[in-house]
Amino acid sequence: MSDLQGSWLERELESHGVSRREFLQFCAAMTSVLALPDSLAAAVAQAVERTPKPILVWLEFQDCAGNTESFLRASRPTAAEIVLDTLSVDYHETIMAAAGHQAEAALTKTVAEKSGGYIAVVEGSIPTAAGGAYCTIGGRAAIDIAREVCGKAAATIAIGTCAAFGGLPAASPNPTGALGVADAVPGLKNLINLPACPANVENLTALVVYYLAFKRLPPLDAYHRPLFAYGKAIHDNCERRAHFDAGQYVEQWGDEGHRTGYCLYKMGCKGPVTYQNCPNVRWNGGTNWPIGCGHPCIGCAEPDFWDKMTPFYRHLPGIPGFGIGTTVDQVGVGAVIAVGAAFAGHGVISMIRRRSDIERMQRGPQPAGPAAGTPPDETGGAKGGRS
Amino acid sequence: MSAAIAAPKLVRVYVWEWPVRITHWLIATSIILCSATGLYLGNPFLIVTGPAGAHFVMGWAKVIHFYGAIVFALSVLSRIVWMFIGNTYARWDKFLPIPKKRRAGFMPTLYFYTFRLRKPPGFVGHNPVAGATYTLVFCLLLAMIVTGVAIYSGSAAVGSVLHPFRFLIPLVGGLQTARWIHHVVMWLLLGFLVHHVYSAVLMSQVEGNGTLESIFSGYKFVPPEDLVYSGYRFVDRNDVP
Ligand code: SF4
Repeated sequence: MSDLQGSWLERELESHGVSRREFLQFCAAMTSVLALPDSLAAAVAQAVERTPKPILVWLEFQDCAGNTESFLRASRPTAAEIVLDTLSVDYHETIMAAAGHQAEAALTKTVAEKSGGYIAVVEGSIPTAAGGAYCTIGGRAAIDIAREVCGKAAATIAIGTCAAFGGLPAASPNPTGALGVADAVPGLKNLINLPACPANVENLTALVVYYLAFKRLPPLDAYHRPLFAYGKAIHDNCERRAHFDAGQYVEQWGDEGHRTGYCLYKMGCKGPVTYQNCPNVRWNGGTNWPIGCGHPCIGCAEPDFWDKMTPFYRHLPGIPGFGIGTTVDQVGVGAVIAVGAAFAGHGVISMIRRRSDIERMQRGPQPAGPAAGTPPDETGGAKGGRS
Repeated sequence: MSAAIAAPKLVRVYVWEWPVRITHWLIATSIILCSATGLYLGNPFLIVTGPAGAHFVMGWAKVIHFYGAIVFALSVLSRIVWMFIGNTYARWDKFLPIPKKRRAGFMPTLYFYTFRLRKPPGFVGHNPVAGATYTLVFCLLLAMIVTGVAIYSGSAAVGSVLHPFRFLIPLVGGLQTARWIHHVVMWLLLGFLVHHVYSAVLMSQVEGNGTLESIFSGYKFVPPEDLVYSGYRFVDRNDVP
């Protein structure tokens, strides 16, 4: 174990009374969250302990501190606390001791001295309306802070749906012009989105471990989300999936199916359209997760979730203009019946006209206009058609 | 009652080639199949009891829906290809009222549908109004394919040919929006189905040219002059046989 000697991690582990065994277990757990082969766990452990203490600044804008809560409760492996706690958190409004100008000075110092060497974490959306006046810290608009701090960071982690996609503050009508980091500060290099309301700390930990171990970002999807956590729909790993495929659904809160653990699809579950590893890593140290305790997924990790995933307890939104509570199916059936009725009416009129035509025909030929089949000139065709 | 009606002299024309007829019926069948299963997918109304492992109701609905969708997509795409290699009645320009003849015939056809004319201008294939309607219908069919592929790609395995189509998901506004579009367009297509069957019967009745049968046999019976001056038949209130 000589390679542990002198590493920041070894000192921290020792002072917290965490054994090396626990640390290795943690690395194995993280390896599995990252969907890497087990055989890499040792390599991950080695890489983590040899890496210098990473510096982190945590910016909070239009947020509810939910992701901070999630971050502070990294409860499962104690070693995770070590890795997260010992990230040198140079700035975090909620948990730092310094306040006011002192705190801002710490941020300015880190950004100036460690430019290009720290990780910026952004929590909350960035308002852009009214020149950014809706959110200012120390007299500076959130958008300016984000531009400077994220612009000089080695990597930016947008944690939570608000920072990733605008989230709740950006929901229609979006009075503050709120945007996620990717839209507010376009062109950021090394941006990682960790959406969800709040983001799961297991994924933040795994991301940090990955970064420490491989010195680069994990593979990302089109929304900048790490594939290890957002590569699969919730539905495709859900423990209730067998009931879904069988056709067994909760029809009403508290009914037999609900008590048995049937699929929540008919209660508006958005698991099929939401990407996150909730079914695998779960929440609160693996205790449970929303679908596990009988509540449908509300799709909190998806872009525009507040606008698009509502109504939460229905499969699909209705059609605008047809009144709240009217489903697409009701409108659809109505429309098909209306089409049918319209054409039935058309059919009756057609039949009556046809009958009169036949009668007229039987009365003998009329002194008619131009005979059928007379080829008109190029322009005459349409005009001749008018009755 | 005794006055004999002289049978108009008609010629037999091969209008709908076999690819047109086959794709027509494959598209029709797959729309009905996918709508029936799709209605269940959106609102699984059957009650299934017992152990989950003993049933696969939703599973089968999805399997049928997916195979129906494959037939549907391939048929629609084949029909679009045939617009460029098929006979004159199948060609793409019959779907857009752009050529002079078809622009000229558009309003008279509409007058016929709105009872202002006794007989429609004699177009042998699609009349201009029907052609334009089918352009909209093809847009709906393509919307169905794009949203369907996007939804499927989201859960497709990494090795699946549909997995790379995940790039469509942001383009259609996310999966939940894709679902909504897919569902609304289904109802539009069902509405079109009602209209389409009715129009076919109407045209068959009024023109007496075998429109309804033509989609089975490929042949229509038309006055010879329609063949030469398609769309130019002079019609007015008194122009009744
Ligand atoms: S509860 Fe939701 S995520 Fe789970 S199987 Fe049912 S629909 Fe899918």
